[in-house]
Amino acid sequence: MRILQYHPVDVINGPGTRCSVFVSGCEHRCPDCFNKASWSFKKGEAYSEQIKQRILCDLGDQRIRKRGLSLSGGDPLHPRNLAAVTDLVEAVKTQYPDKDIWCWTGYRLEQLEGAQLTLLDCLDVLVDGRFEAEFKDARLCWRGSSNQRIIALSQRYANEPYSCTIADISKRQTRQTQ
Amino acid sequence: MDKVVIKRDGSRTPFDVGRIEQAILKAMKACKRVSEPDAKHIALAVAEELDGREQVAIDEIQALVERRLMQSYFKDVARRYIEYRHERDLERERSSRLTREIQGLVEQNNSELLNENANKDSRVIPTQRDLLAGIVARHFAKTQLLPKAVVEAHDGGFLHYHDLDYAPFFPMFNCMLVDLKGMLENGFKMGNAEIESPKSISTACSVTAQIIAQVASHIYGGTTINRIDEVLAPYVELSYQKHVATAERYKIAEAEAYAKEQCEKECYNAFQALEYEINTLHTSNGQTPFVTFGFGLGSSWQEKLIQRCILEVRRAGLGKHKKTAVFPKLVFAMKRGLNAHPEDPNYDIKRLALRCASERMYPDILNYEQVVEVTGSFKTPMGCRSFLSRHEEQGQEVHEGRNNLGVVSLNLPRLALLAKGNMDLFYKLLHGNLELAFEALMTRVDRLRHVKAKVAPILYTEGACGIRLKPEDSVFSLFENGRASVSLGYIGLNEVCNALLGHTVHVYDCEQRKALVHEIVACMSATIEKWKQQTGLGFSLYATPSENLCSRFCRIDSKDFGLIPGVTDKGYYTNSFHLDVQKKVNPFDKLDFEKTFPPLSSGGFICYGEYPNLQHNLDALEDVWDYSYDCVPYYGTNTPIDECYDCGFTGEFDCTSKGFCCPQCGNSDSARVSVTRRVCGYLGSPDARPFNDGKQQEVLRRVKHLDAEPA
Repeated sequence: MRILQYHPVDVINGPGTRCSVFVSGCEHRCPDCFNKASWSFKKGEAYSEQIKQRILCDLGDQRIRKRGLSLSGGDPLHPRNLAAVTDLVEAVKTQYPDKDIWCWTGYRLEQLEGAQLTLLDCLDVLVDGRFEAEFKDARLCWRGSSNQRIIALSQRYANEPYSCTIADISKRQTRQTQ
Repeated sequence: MDKVVIKRDGSRTPFDVGRIEQAILKAMKACKRVSEPDAKHIALAVAEELDGREQVAIDEIQALVERRLMQSYFKDVARRYIEYRHERDLERERSSRLTREIQGLVEQNNSELLNENANKDSRVIPTQRDLLAGIVARHFAKTQLLPKAVVEAHDGGFLHYHDLDYAPFFPMFNCMLVDLKGMLENGFKMGNAEIESPKSISTACSVTAQIIAQVASHIYGGTTINRIDEVLAPYVELSYQKHVATAERYKIAEAEAYAKEQCEKECYNAFQALEYEINTLHTSNGQTPFVTFGFGLGSSWQEKLIQRCILEVRRAGLGKHKKTAVFPKLVFAMKRGLNAHPEDPNYDIKRLALRCASERMYPDILNYEQVVEVTGSFKTPMGCRSFLSRHEEQGQEVHEGRNNLGVVSLNLPRLALLAKGNMDLFYKLLHGNLELAFEALMTRVDRLRHVKAKVAPILYTEGACGIRLKPEDSVFSLFENGRASVSLGYIGLNEVCNALLGHTVHVYDCEQRKALVHEIVACMSATIEKWKQQTGLGFSLYATPSENLCSRFCRIDSKDFGLIPGVTDKGYYTNSFHLDVQKKVNPFDKLDFEKTFPPLSSGGFICYGEYPNLQHNLDALEDVWDYSYDCVPYYGTNTPIDECYDCGFTGEFDCTSKGFCCPQCGNSDSARVSVTRRVCGYLGSPDARPFNDGKQQEVLRRVKHLDAEPA
């Protein structure tokens, strides 16, 4: 995996002050994507132990305190990125169980499988779905279009006005199938 | 036919050989070599040379006289004659500058004058009257009142005598903390009316607006109400008691709940009315007054209610489009144990302040402990950033009614350019100019020495200055013994480094440069201390905001030194000790860089961070506020809050060298957009009233200290 951009202090991608990682590589190719530069898997710096240590170090900074890590891109859940992302996320969760992890993906939750699903155990929030220009709404927080969902995977963000839980989603689906 | 002489202003006068002779004699007398026959001879020779001409220009005659004198044995007289002519030229030039400036105002084409102050709409008549008065006052001060050396230093761009359009022509001072408490409690006289102590919060607020309008017309800087929540709380209580009485009279079941609700409504309405009044005021200075409200330290329900009303009124916006109010500037005090942390009783107010700042840019924050540590006691800044020091009267700490007598700022980059890397020379120049600045500042002080209270009743006899004098009393005692401050300002430390050491590394990245700028500020600070001892006056070092100055100094210096990389090439100089607006660092690191300066420059300062829109992320804004708490006394967060009424876009407009434009639809019509930017310590609406060129350049180059948007 390659990392296109790393921001050790970020306030735009997720709540509070965070570290954010934009990985390279995405095949969703949403029209009007805000970050087309990230589609290629070849751009940016290769993920390494050194980068991992730097991120861990920044997350633990006592001077500028971070609430957590944000993963965006690119698609962190693309199969080619999955191994490295899992490595990073597991290291963060082990070292800082109290910091939260947000992840943006172009897949829908329902499409995820295998290692992608395993990874969810380490995440606190998944923002899912392609960017759909027709649902674009600048007033939304943490997402570009209203078809995307902010899914609280841990309790921490389960009661926010902008989030839904997996239970909410399955309830809704049951209702739809009935 | 008789010859006619055409004078410089175009008027005509008969040729008179006697006048030529007189002029030559005058020059001879100056050289102590008077020879009447020679004077007559030369004059006649000149007249002969012009024989047969019907008209002749005065310049031509003078040139002939000069040539004749140079050819004679009177070469020294020739020199004197030329010098005299040169002096006359200068004098003429000076008097015609006045005419030219007035012309620029009449024809509305002197953009420097018209856009000098972003808060003045130079298209309207009262403002034009003020500008006209300013032109004349400045001219008179420079030609009649100020020492020649000070005027030369000002015109040459070594220092800036601020607000020459008001003082020293008028015996006015700069900015102040109004003793609102004393005025409201004891009543006062204004115009034809005797005002008694108000009996409700609505009356108290409307009287406050009246006082502000009056005070702001008698001073040229900012009008600040310190701790307004605490000052006005008693009137909330009076309103509450009134509503309780009403409830009892009509036998309303839940009298207390009824009274509380009525009181809250009344309080909100009162502050909304005050907000509208201040934004619609037009003082005799031709502008909306620069007003600042400091609040946040009160803890009673009445005080908290006022805090909440101030913030909610600001959040609501002005008018149909809910435009961001530019005045009053709101300054919210944070204090540990009161409102800083979730367990503190007023934490809810801090969260509301964060929300308000994310939507409307204000409030800025005062960090209680830092203000006390750096300036000696807690108080709100006068105007946008001028801080008083600690001062006691009869064993009591006093702030209300005190003021600042004005500012003179040094152009440090110019001294650095002149020194050409020679540190000794730089310090020599600095000391020389500090002496000049002292002389200049003392003219400000001396102008007020024999002024009587009757020149500004609202200030001196009705209580705004805290002490009520009699009309014939001298006002000077109000300014002595450190009661008032008088400030030396400075600009462009960032450019000083590049001018002295070359545009190679940034001061932020270089310990040597950091040490240098500290040494310079410490040197000025030590000089101020000396002046204080010497005069007993409240001299202070002030980090100049330089709204207009940022381009004036740079313009003069680029004329004299050319475009020097990292110094004059940007079209503006950086505000005082501030980090270069182009330097990309996060706000935490910026705070660390700037935090060492306020203690050295405690007469005035503010620190800023540039942020993206944080309306969805108040926690992040809170992180920086909390971080600033232990770093700096006074902090402002600049966030994009522009609005396009055409397409509904809210966020940040593109700042181009031509103006501001909506990134979504390209709209730049000032009637259909709302653009708000920090100009100095105050906000401005540059869409409606353009900034000066230098400020526009500076705004154009501001980088966000926290934008993690992908490239």
